[in-house]
Amino acid sequence: MSVPREVTRHEDAIPQLADVNVPDELKTWIEQRMAMYPDPKSATIPCLMQAQKLHGWLSPDAVRQVAAVMRVTPAYLVSVASFYDMFELQERGRHTIYMCTNISCMLRGADAVMAELEAAVGVSDGDVSDDGIFLRRFECLGACDIAPMASVDGVYVGPLTVDDAKQLVEDLRAERDVLPAKHLTKRPVAATFWSGGAPAGSGAGEA
Amino acid sequence: MDELLFQDIDEPGLNTIEVYERRGGYETLKKALRELDGEQVLAELQASGVRGRGGAGFAMGTKAGFLPKGTMDKYLCCNADESEPGTFKDRELMQKNPHQLVEGIILASYAAGINKAFIYIRGEYDAQASILEAAVREAYEHGHLGENIHGSGFGVSLVVHRGAGAYICGEETALLDSLEGKRGNPRLKPPFPANAGLFQGPTLINNVETLSNVSHIVKHGGEWYAKIGTEKSTGTKLVSVSGCVQRPGNYEIELGIPAREIIFGLAGGPLPGREIKAWFPGGSSSPLLTPDEFDLPYDFDSIAGAGSMLGSGAIIVIDDSVSIVDVALRTASFYKHESCGKCTPCREGTNWTTKMLQRVADGDATPMDLDLIAGVQQQIMGNCLCVLGDAMAMPVSSMVNKFRDEFEAHLEAARASRTPLADAPAKLDLVGGLVPGVIA
Amino acid sequence: MNDDVKRDEATARAGDVADQSGKSSVGETVRPGEDNVVTDQAAVAIEEPRLQYQSPFTVVDALPPGYTKKPAGEPERKIISFTIDGAEVRAPEGIMLVDAAKYGGVEIPVFCYEPKLGAPVGACRMCLVEIEGIPKLQTACSTPVRDGMAVITKSPRVIEAQNGVVEFILLNHPLDCPVCDKGGECPLQDISYGWGSGKSRTTEPKRHFEKPVALSDGIAIDRERCILCYRCVRFSQEVSEDYQLVLLDRGAGAHVGTFDGSQYIAPFSGNVIELCPVGALTSRAYRFRARPWDIEQGGSVCTLCPAQCNVSYTVRDDKVMRTLARDNNAVDDGWLCDKGRFAYQAWESEARITTPLVRQGDKLLPARWDHALDVAAAALKKSGERTAALAGGATTNEEAWLLRRLMLEGLNSPHIDSRRGGKLSLDVARTLTQPALTVSVPDIEWADAVLVLDSEPVDDMPILDLRLRKGVRRNGMKLAIATPRPSSLDANTALVARYAPGYAGAFAQAVQAELDGSGDVDDYAARAGADAADVRAVAALLKGAERPVILWSERMLYTTAGAAPAQALCNIADRLGVGEREGAGLMQIPIQANGRGLREVGFLPNIGPGLTDGQPGRTGMSSDEIAAALGSDISALITVNVDPIVEYPNGRTWAAALAKAPTVIAFSTWLDPATALHADVVFPAEVGPEKEGTVTHPDGRIQRLRQTVERAGEVNAGWWVVGELAKRLGLDLGVKIANQATAQIAAGVPIYEGITTTEIGGTGVRWQERGAASNLPAPDATTFLLEAPPAAPQPNGRLRLGDFKSLWSGGEVVNAATLRALASGPRRVELSPVDGHRLGVASGDTVTLKTESGELSALVALRDAVPAGAAFLMTDERDGNEALRAALAGAPELIEVVK
Ligand SMILES: Cc1cc2nc3c(=O)[nH]c(=O)nc-3n(C[C@H](O)[C@H](O)[C@H](O)COP(=O)(O)O)c2cc1C
Ligand code: SF4
Ligand code: FES
Repeated sequence: MSVPREVTRHEDAIPQLADVNVPDELKTWIEQRMAMYPDPKSATIPCLMQAQKLHGWLSPDAVRQVAAVMRVTPAYLVSVASFYDMFELQERGRHTIYMCTNISCMLRGADAVMAELEAAVGVSDGDVSDDGIFLRRFECLGACDIAPMASVDGVYVGPLTVDDAKQLVEDLRAERDVLPAKHLTKRPVAATFWSGGAPAGSGAGEA
Repeated sequence: MDELLFQDIDEPGLNTIEVYERRGGYETLKKALRELDGEQVLAELQASGVRGRGGAGFAMGTKAGFLPKGTMDKYLCCNADESEPGTFKDRELMQKNPHQLVEGIILASYAAGINKAFIYIRGEYDAQASILEAAVREAYEHGHLGENIHGSGFGVSLVVHRGAGAYICGEETALLDSLEGKRGNPRLKPPFPANAGLFQGPTLINNVETLSNVSHIVKHGGEWYAKIGTEKSTGTKLVSVSGCVQRPGNYEIELGIPAREIIFGLAGGPLPGREIKAWFPGGSSSPLLTPDEFDLPYDFDSIAGAGSMLGSGAIIVIDDSVSIVDVALRTASFYKHESCGKCTPCREGTNWTTKMLQRVADGDATPMDLDLIAGVQQQIMGNCLCVLGDAMAMPVSSMVNKFRDEFEAHLEAARASRTPLADAPAKLDLVGGLVPGVIA
Repeated sequence: MNDDVKRDEATARAGDVADQSGKSSVGETVRPGEDNVVTDQAAVAIEEPRLQYQSPFTVVDALPPGYTKKPAGEPERKIISFTIDGAEVRAPEGIMLVDAAKYGGVEIPVFCYEPKLGAPVGACRMCLVEIEGIPKLQTACSTPVRDGMAVITKSPRVIEAQNGVVEFILLNHPLDCPVCDKGGECPLQDISYGWGSGKSRTTEPKRHFEKPVALSDGIAIDRERCILCYRCVRFSQEVSEDYQLVLLDRGAGAHVGTFDGSQYIAPFSGNVIELCPVGALTSRAYRFRARPWDIEQGGSVCTLCPAQCNVSYTVRDDKVMRTLARDNNAVDDGWLCDKGRFAYQAWESEARITTPLVRQGDKLLPARWDHALDVAAAALKKSGERTAALAGGATTNEEAWLLRRLMLEGLNSPHIDSRRGGKLSLDVARTLTQPALTVSVPDIEWADAVLVLDSEPVDDMPILDLRLRKGVRRNGMKLAIATPRPSSLDANTALVARYAPGYAGAFAQAVQAELDGSGDVDDYAARAGADAADVRAVAALLKGAERPVILWSERMLYTTAGAAPAQALCNIADRLGVGEREGAGLMQIPIQANGRGLREVGFLPNIGPGLTDGQPGRTGMSSDEIAAALGSDISALITVNVDPIVEYPNGRTWAAALAKAPTVIAFSTWLDPATALHADVVFPAEVGPEKEGTVTHPDGRIQRLRQTVERAGEVNAGWWVVGELAKRLGLDLGVKIANQATAQIAAGVPIYEGITTTEIGGTGVRWQERGAASNLPAPDATTFLLEAPPAAPQPNGRLRLGDFKSLWSGGEVVNAATLRALASGPRRVELSPVDGHRLGVASGDTVTLKTESGELSALVALRDAVPAGAAFLMTDERDGNEALRAALAGAPELIEVVK
């Protein structure tokens, strides 16, 4: 007999779908994602991410919704979520800036750019501004070729100068494409890029 | 040398199946399915001698050969977590030529009798993950993925799975746990993934670059491939060069060329007016090398011979404007932040080392602390559950040992400039958490 | 990372050390005495290992405590030999080095290793040892021992690593031992003392957390003391599988916690207190109440449910301070449920009856013993053979035996019963009791297929729930759950079957029909309200198994189907041929803690001790006949540890009957309704740690209760009270100490023949494994011809009503400070979301349940897994709701739910 299965007993440990108001689109998304794996639990991270996108952060309600559809405990989900850097268990803004300050970016002046970002956004590392910009230092984002760089709402931009930092925040506040000329995705591989005559160390803050 | 993986990498639309197929893409797959059985494909991989590009440098064909034969669910996990500081080559491959990777995955699956494949891509690579998802969709539509591919009777499924930000998930067993929907803690080995990996089934785990090589190996033959590079480090390698150089970026080289050619030739050498002081040859986990070692052949064994490692092929160049103390602190705090916390020496050792290095950087330490730091690294090395602990201990210990003078000079300068009253009280390191309430 | 590089380095290092270790193993290692080294080539039996240092967590023995033989399903292990620090040692192949070392008397320190939690995790790195031929140090907790292995535990390299790990662990530990409850019984202290360097080199500030916070009413957590060994979270995830206690964050910031600060509430949560190797998880009830040197431990058995877990009471000043598990793998696997763990608080509560009470008008007033005994004896004398007696719950075999004698010999009355309705068929009882057809608890763990029929183990016999999870998780057991109500084990099963509440018998007959063609499976399944495909799947699973096991609830015997359900089980056992297969068989989950013992000592109206024939021509009345005869043919009733109003399904009948009874004499712990309203004399009953005697586990293991504290107030031993009553009736029962009653049982119960408390010992003995088992009379028939089962009513818009009793019920829960909040709150009824939607009700709404015989209101809980068309009412035995009980009695009625 096919019945919904729960991983636990205690009556209130797994939220009941009947009691939790899960948005239809989220429920469908989660169910489809679970069906993609031999063990539906594999869908945990993608499903949490989807809920985070929908709610802006992994609020207790968001976690309960995922738990009710996946039939796992919310504790299991926060345990997983809190392990990963990209899950936000506290309320965050509309926009997210991850500023890389790992070695390669540090060597190209990331700390100065970060300081400028903090000034421009008006918050320090790990905080959200009143107008909803969340700024945090991040470990190597895998784009040291455009160091120092940042990921702005998932879009990689760099190399950033101190002036770029100001511009970046302005673009974000104006809800427009951020630093369009500095998108990583528009950049050819190094050999092509550099033979294209771009100045060496362009834009790099001296370390 | 002709480029292999980077051939016409910037051709517009190469990420689409149309352009990829127009250039002969997926022909190798079709031909292999038609003319070779899985064992023969595996034999080519073994003949090629291609070693893993993810860090450990283990021969790919050998690893694929470890999987048990017979019909059962077997898995392939493409490691696209690329989080080692200084490494960004897989990103380029996935973004610009995703089908080269997809074709490689299908061929590798065929070779090892695998029927379910996953690409575990770091969550931060949003654009690249979307490109991969599109490519996978296209490959399904064109019949390269799914059941009974091109009427061969062989079938494999492929799912792109995004992580959510944790360096440790690049470690192959942590990757498996993460892919199973858990915290990304490394597992004890044995059992090895080849026997009991994903969902406890036999699993092959390979890096993006490793798998991107596969279609080329199968197309030209393992022997052809083995002629590129050196005897024990065959093929080409993508090198991510970053830090204090004129032309940072990804370069495809033939393994075995002198490091100098990469750093000075391709990457343009130091920034104007600067001198190179040290370099990481293979990501931030590799012990630092010095300018004395520029002429080392850039291959797995030569770099290992010099006491470091080729790792993921990420060269980070440090020039004379930078303090090694800062590099050491940044390195240690990265590993502290990324330690999964499962085993004691790594969890506590990275944390302790970072605290000590912070004091050193603040000038609030003595040379005896440097001895302690070096001693603690010894206490970590070889005693952890996975090698993340070593990944900090090795470079940090290389910095403290090779640049001891610089550390001492830094401390001496700090001591000289300090007024005793400036000592700040010890900070409390309060870690928050969800708590039900304080007991009265 | 380049593993090769490190491998090379490591090899180089290993080279150096190999030399040193060669020296050290001769020079520095403490060489165990010759007699420690097992040299006997032929010996397959393992010598008792000698422990230099008794591990606080694990004791390795050839067989775990309580086992008399290896369960049939457990794989054999060869004995191999290896060397440890130069000494040759023999041990079973494949066990972990940590355990194998103990066979050579070598203790390897561990923190995270705890085999009870499943596969080792190798996290703490405390157990690093050197193995010849392997460059890196290896974790002894996760390395299986192989023949010829050479292990070194005392080389400088190993000592350095051990010192290093201790240093790392203490870096962030507050070292607040003087104010820590764990101090003096703390593995961290022991290991720091034994394997640490004794000095600290850190000057950095430690990690700080809020000092102890409440994890729940029972548990406090001090995260500063936590050494992140993962034991507690592994318990929550891999043993109890409640997934509520988890690790949050990662790296050095990792800490143990729950979701959003909620309490850790789960049936077995308290075990994490015992698992914690430091003082991070402590019992809030025990905090600051005693130091290890103030206390004594007293072993006994918990009698709150049929699981009869072995416990150890911590006693200070003649008071129980806490209850700990006393590992008996054959019974409890070393775990306790929270009810068993915290019940001791209830026994100290005001609510407990601690003096004799005698009724004066409508009041029960305290009385002196002599007076109470005289009043009771006078009433009994008067009613003579018109006296009846009921025994239940935790009544010991001895109490039941003596009371039986009092009834038969002193009053000439055969009207005794320990069941809640009808008479047990002798053939069925004998068949299902045959040793060949029954299984032991370890057999269950190693069975390849288990069917749980009509029981929710976590409520009926909690520890069994953990055993089943273990079987599934670790031994590849295939589990089938057949219950009307969704089970907590559903997620662990190979298959799940549902049927109409009360129709387990029909379901069993359908399974039988599938096995032997004795009926139309589709028809029978329909009668049971089940899916025929599920029936077939269950039958196929059992049939395909080598060691099938069926766990069935005694509840199945109390429906309108009479003996048929039990007869169907006999038939199934026959068709599966379990009698011929080691490790296969059936086990009844009794409703009462000592249900099996009461039956086997003959506390039944129609069956004698050891399932012998009852006295010829003297068949007594069964409990429901007694109820009917109260006030007419029966004029006095003795109840021992049982309140028929709240515990028996026909509670309303009992309430009416008791009102007519001229005399009711109750042995009771709590003022339950029957006692409070109808008893004329109340004798205060003993509770767990006060008792001396024996009980019989559902698998036939006779276990001993040992008194560890003085009885509270004026409480006297049950056996003494019965003896005093007998004396006043002119009968000498010949019992001056409890043991004498046990001796009488050993002489009078043929299947228990010759048993002594010495033989029972600390871990009990299964009577089936003793010679006297052959005294079990053979049944006349072992298989039965059955008619088609009764059909469950079709809901047709109404709902089939089922009930369940939560683990969190009973006087021990309501009166223990730690558990009180868990006691079933307002009465609740579980509905499926489909029915909830149809009826327009949501969780938390109040509804009225209407039956033919009455109505009552309940709070709705919508549960996704409840099948449509059914409703499940939580029956709280405290509320004694009669209308409801009537509705649930026998074949449950259909109910209407009205908003
Ligand atoms: C801490 C740690 C992080 C790692 N990160 C990565 C990574 O991001 N990408 C990768 O391909 N391999 C990574 N590895 C190496 C993998 O464990 C594994 O060796 C590799 O994926 C195997 O693929 P290959 O044989 O093709 O190199 C990492 C290893 C460790 C110990
Ligand atoms: S070495 Fe670090 S990352 Fe690896 S298991 Fe241990 S704590 Fe986790
Ligand atoms: S006991 Fe072996 S690693 Fe913890």
